[in-house]
Amino acid sequence: MIVGRFVRGLDDRLRVSPVARRALAKVFPDHWSFMLGEIALYAFVALILTGVYLTFFFEASTADRVYEGGYAPLDGTTTSAAYASTVRLSFDVRAGLLVRQTHHWAALVFVGAIVLHLLRIFFTGAFRRPREINWLVGVTMLALALLNGFTGYSLPDDLLSGTGLRIIYSVVESIPVVGAWAAFLAFGGEFPSDEMIPRMFVSHVLLVPGILVALVSIHLAILVRQKHSQFPGPGRTEHNVVGSRFWPGYTLRTLALFAWVLAVLFALGGLAQINPVWLYGPFEPSQATSPAQPDWYVAWADGALRLFPPVEFRIFGHLVPAPFFPGVVLGGLTFAVLYAWPFLERRFSRDELPHQLLDPPRRHPVRLGVGVGAIVFFTLLVLAGADEIIARLLRVPLADVVTVLRVSVLVLPVVAGLVAYLVTRALRGGDAAGFGDLTRAELRRAATRRRTAPAPPPVSAPAEKATGREPGERVEVWPERGVWRWRYHAADGGVVLTGNRAATSEAAATTAARTAYPGVRTVRVPGPGPVGRSAPVRSGLRRWGRRVAWGALLAAALRRGRGGRGRDRRG
Amino acid sequence: MTARRIGAAFLVSTLGAVGFATTYALGGNTRWEGVSLAVAFTGLALGLAIWARRLIPTGGHVEEHESFSPPPQERALAAAALTTPDSPPRRRGLLALLGLAVTAIGAAALFPLRSLLPYDRTRPQQALRDTPWEAGVRLVDTDGRPLRPADVPAGTIVGVFPEGHVDTGDGPAFAVRLDPRRFSRPPPAGDLDGLVVYSMLCTHAGCPVRLYLNGTGRVLCPCHQSSFDLLAAARPVSGPAARALPGLPVEVDPDGFLRATGDFTSPPGAGYWGRP
Amino acid sequence: MEMPQRGNRRRALAVAAVALLALGPAAITPSTTAPAAITPAPAAVRPAAMAPAAVPPGARAPAPTGTPAPDGADLYLRTCASCHGVQGQGTQRGPSLVGVGPASVDFQLGTGRMPLKDERQQPTRHEPVFSAAEIAALVDHVASFGGGGPRIPDPAPGDVAAGRQIFAANCAPCHSATGSGTDLTNGLVAPPLYEATAVQIAEAVRVGPGPMPAFPAEVLTDRQVDDLTSYVRLLQSERLDVGGNPLGRLGPAAEGLVAWLIGLSLLVLAVRWLGTRADR
Repeated sequence: MIVGRFVRGLDDRLRVSPVARRALAKVFPDHWSFMLGEIALYAFVALILTGVYLTFFFEASTADRVYEGGYAPLDGTTTSAAYASTVRLSFDVRAGLLVRQTHHWAALVFVGAIVLHLLRIFFTGAFRRPREINWLVGVTMLALALLNGFTGYSLPDDLLSGTGLRIIYSVVESIPVVGAWAAFLAFGGEFPSDEMIPRMFVSHVLLVPGILVALVSIHLAILVRQKHSQFPGPGRTEHNVVGSRFWPGYTLRTLALFAWVLAVLFALGGLAQINPVWLYGPFEPSQATSPAQPDWYVAWADGALRLFPPVEFRIFGHLVPAPFFPGVVLGGLTFAVLYAWPFLERRFSRDELPHQLLDPPRRHPVRLGVGVGAIVFFTLLVLAGADEIIARLLRVPLADVVTVLRVSVLVLPVVAGLVAYLVTRALRGGDAAGFGDLTRAELRRAATRRRTAPAPPPVSAPAEKATGREPGERVEVWPERGVWRWRYHAADGGVVLTGNRAATSEAAATTAARTAYPGVRTVRVPGPGPVGRSAPVRSGLRRWGRRVAWGALLAAALRRGRGGRGRDRRG
Repeated sequence: MTARRIGAAFLVSTLGAVGFATTYALGGNTRWEGVSLAVAFTGLALGLAIWARRLIPTGGHVEEHESFSPPPQERALAAAALTTPDSPPRRRGLLALLGLAVTAIGAAALFPLRSLLPYDRTRPQQALRDTPWEAGVRLVDTDGRPLRPADVPAGTIVGVFPEGHVDTGDGPAFAVRLDPRRFSRPPPAGDLDGLVVYSMLCTHAGCPVRLYLNGTGRVLCPCHQSSFDLLAAARPVSGPAARALPGLPVEVDPDGFLRATGDFTSPPGAGYWGRP
Repeated sequence: MEMPQRGNRRRALAVAAVALLALGPAAITPSTTAPAAITPAPAAVRPAAMAPAAVPPGARAPAPTGTPAPDGADLYLRTCASCHGVQGQGTQRGPSLVGVGPASVDFQLGTGRMPLKDERQQPTRHEPVFSAAEIAALVDHVASFGGGGPRIPDPAPGDVAAGRQIFAANCAPCHSATGSGTDLTNGLVAPPLYEATAVQIAEAVRVGPGPMPAFPAEVLTDRQVDDLTSYVRLLQSERLDVGGNPLGRLGPAAEGLVAWLIGLSLLVLAVRWLGTRADR
């Protein structure tokens, strides 16, 4: 009752009910891949929550500080304040290590979820008109996430991250003409400068997160304004969105995901050790540790640095150092292509139409081929970033691993991309239902056939024409306790979709229905008929299978906590 | 049945929270803190998920998706509102001057960025070239003790630093003693009875090449696995590094300590545009 | 579906969960006041029951009465001479042993690196082939070839903080700051340090087995070797892994793998379940 009064009071002053009514009824498509971005969103929330706690204890300074605390091998050692406060945070602040580790795991998961979300958008063509702006915003957020991940990794001023920072410094230094100036401008002097830690700290906790929060808001605002795209299906057109309403079903689901993201991150933070800076020791310019890897989302650049041949040349007597190409050019090109992709594709496919219906990935061979090639390319680079660990695990000389990777990073992406392209073309051209049904003849035809007109015919137009012709297809409108509702019936009666919100008049309901289903016959009925929807039927077997799976996961988690240790050690 | 399950999940969640509070109050233990919080949130997640999937029907709704290209009339109205007679864009001259002023302010705002450079105004090219090493600077170990040639016996590697500058980024070097008869190229900075001193910074990306493979005379970089052959003037033999490690010319001073006779034979560390 | 037995079982499970969650932390934490104070335990410095091989050469105890003392010369001729020569002068298959010193012989035999099965490969750690008494006899016999060389050290407990700094400066580049070791190109490996005894650590520092540089008294004093040994013994301890499973102490590569294979997999699985309609 108090809630009711509060809401009424708010509405009297701000008139939120029209907005709230629409917002609560917003329809979210029922496809799992639409929730990948939400993982990233909730990981970001977890990052902010844990990060704020960390700032209370972290001291962003390179000033000398004597660590005194529970970690004996460093007790009484003079290190930088940044390092000393990180060790104190880990050993002497209760729950400090859990929060620190959770923060780091959240960062790894955050970038991973962004990548998965980006791949979903890419392969389904969700970046096409009208969603190019959101693609650009998203790619920018990926770049900022990488940047913030790296600064966060470097802040504790430990030996491993200090080495990584030195590499980044060298990469910046390698830019022709302005490199040395840029490095001095960014780092405040020659490496290692006293300015680095405070600057990275401000950028890590204020600048970049601020921009990210703003971009996340824009991302979501555009999403709400433009509404969701959706996969093709019965009752789905270019003019509607089919799925669940935000309130109540989707709200509970997304909150469940939020809780699950936190559960996974805290479980990792408590059970799996990450970035043990106390073992690495404080950064000293003359010390090193190996194996030396960056976090996985920077590893592709590190792998490229490792694989690139020792080539340096001079332009008019000026040096172009080896790290320039793998470090600066590759990174720049990667993001340039990411930014430009929607416009490149629009140009080459001459497809200017707005799209609300997504492409199933197999409908678009070129896009799929390029995407698969890119995935293979960057995965190989990430592997190359751990080449010395691979060499040790496989017990082969490192030089052989490097040679194999150097060749495969050039060959495999092309091969994988071509195979993906041909298979998709064969699937599209033939009448096979799946990959297993493909005949050799279809593959051969896909390889030899000349390029036909720009790939997929615009899906929308014919689909629209088709609706409304079917005798059974109709929209029903009926009054219900002072408001009007509408409902769509497919021709065969199999699909029944209810309009997501009530209208105040019959005209409004009819307009909404006609917008969603142009050309479909609208009939006024006294009330909603019975819907032949089958109740959820699930066999007991399936339910038990699920229980066993959960049990296995739990058991695995417990084992990881206890058992795995002895084995890891023998190494 | 379903409701009971959801309730149980929320109870488990509560227990997890209690467990976390207990752990914290008892002195804290990272593992238990993590597990109890994970249990708390898993309970929440399971309860909400079962609730959403079992008690609330999913799907079955449709929302209209109006076109985003506005009707021509609407666009014309917006254009008309923007271009009323008193609309600023009509005063082209003033607009140009306004643009000029804003651009000037923007450009002026860039100037303070220069303060991000080092406050002592060292020029990058020079700072990167010069190191604390110069003629007469003694070689000391990590603890600042000056070194004699006998402190570098064969078969070991000793990190050496310019006296008084142990913590600088470009000063670290290492000394090893090799058999001069095995030199396939003379060391760039000469040797003292087989004792050679090289910069510790990899010429690829500046990591400390401190992994010494005794017997092969090679040092290895931990970051990108470049290796350098100290018997052949520290030339790179594998990996992405393209330049040899700079050598440090050394001599023995009258007190019997090692000292430099000059700076490295070339600037240490990674390459840059103005590198000589 | 609703059977009384099941309800009981569920209730029992719930009670067990309560007990676990409430008492688990209590059972674990009260002994430590600080979240995780890491101090070197005295026992960590010296292995429990020092290996007989660690007894300094001067004070070598006679073989236990009852069993005949192993004959070093005979053992040497049977197992070592084929590669190292009858007088330890070395052959094409193996290096000379003159002047390698007792520490080297004790290290190579005590870590099972020698006798070597395949001379083309870098020797790796195994169960020692010889008993402690046999190793002592072989050490004496090889010492009789002459040449001196580093003696078997007798590391005493040292200062772990000083040891950590020595380790970071001299050992971490190859053996990793975490002690996990690494690959050294050319098919050579810097081994992990987790199984070495205190004496073996000190021996390796003094001798520099294989491609490892040696750190004789000119570089590290006995005191520094004591500190270093104490730190490495502490580094071996799992008590340093206060953050949970150490993932092999391999660093970000292993962490990235876990983030994808466990973290993101669990999340994507959940999303696959949550994001689809319940009636499908």
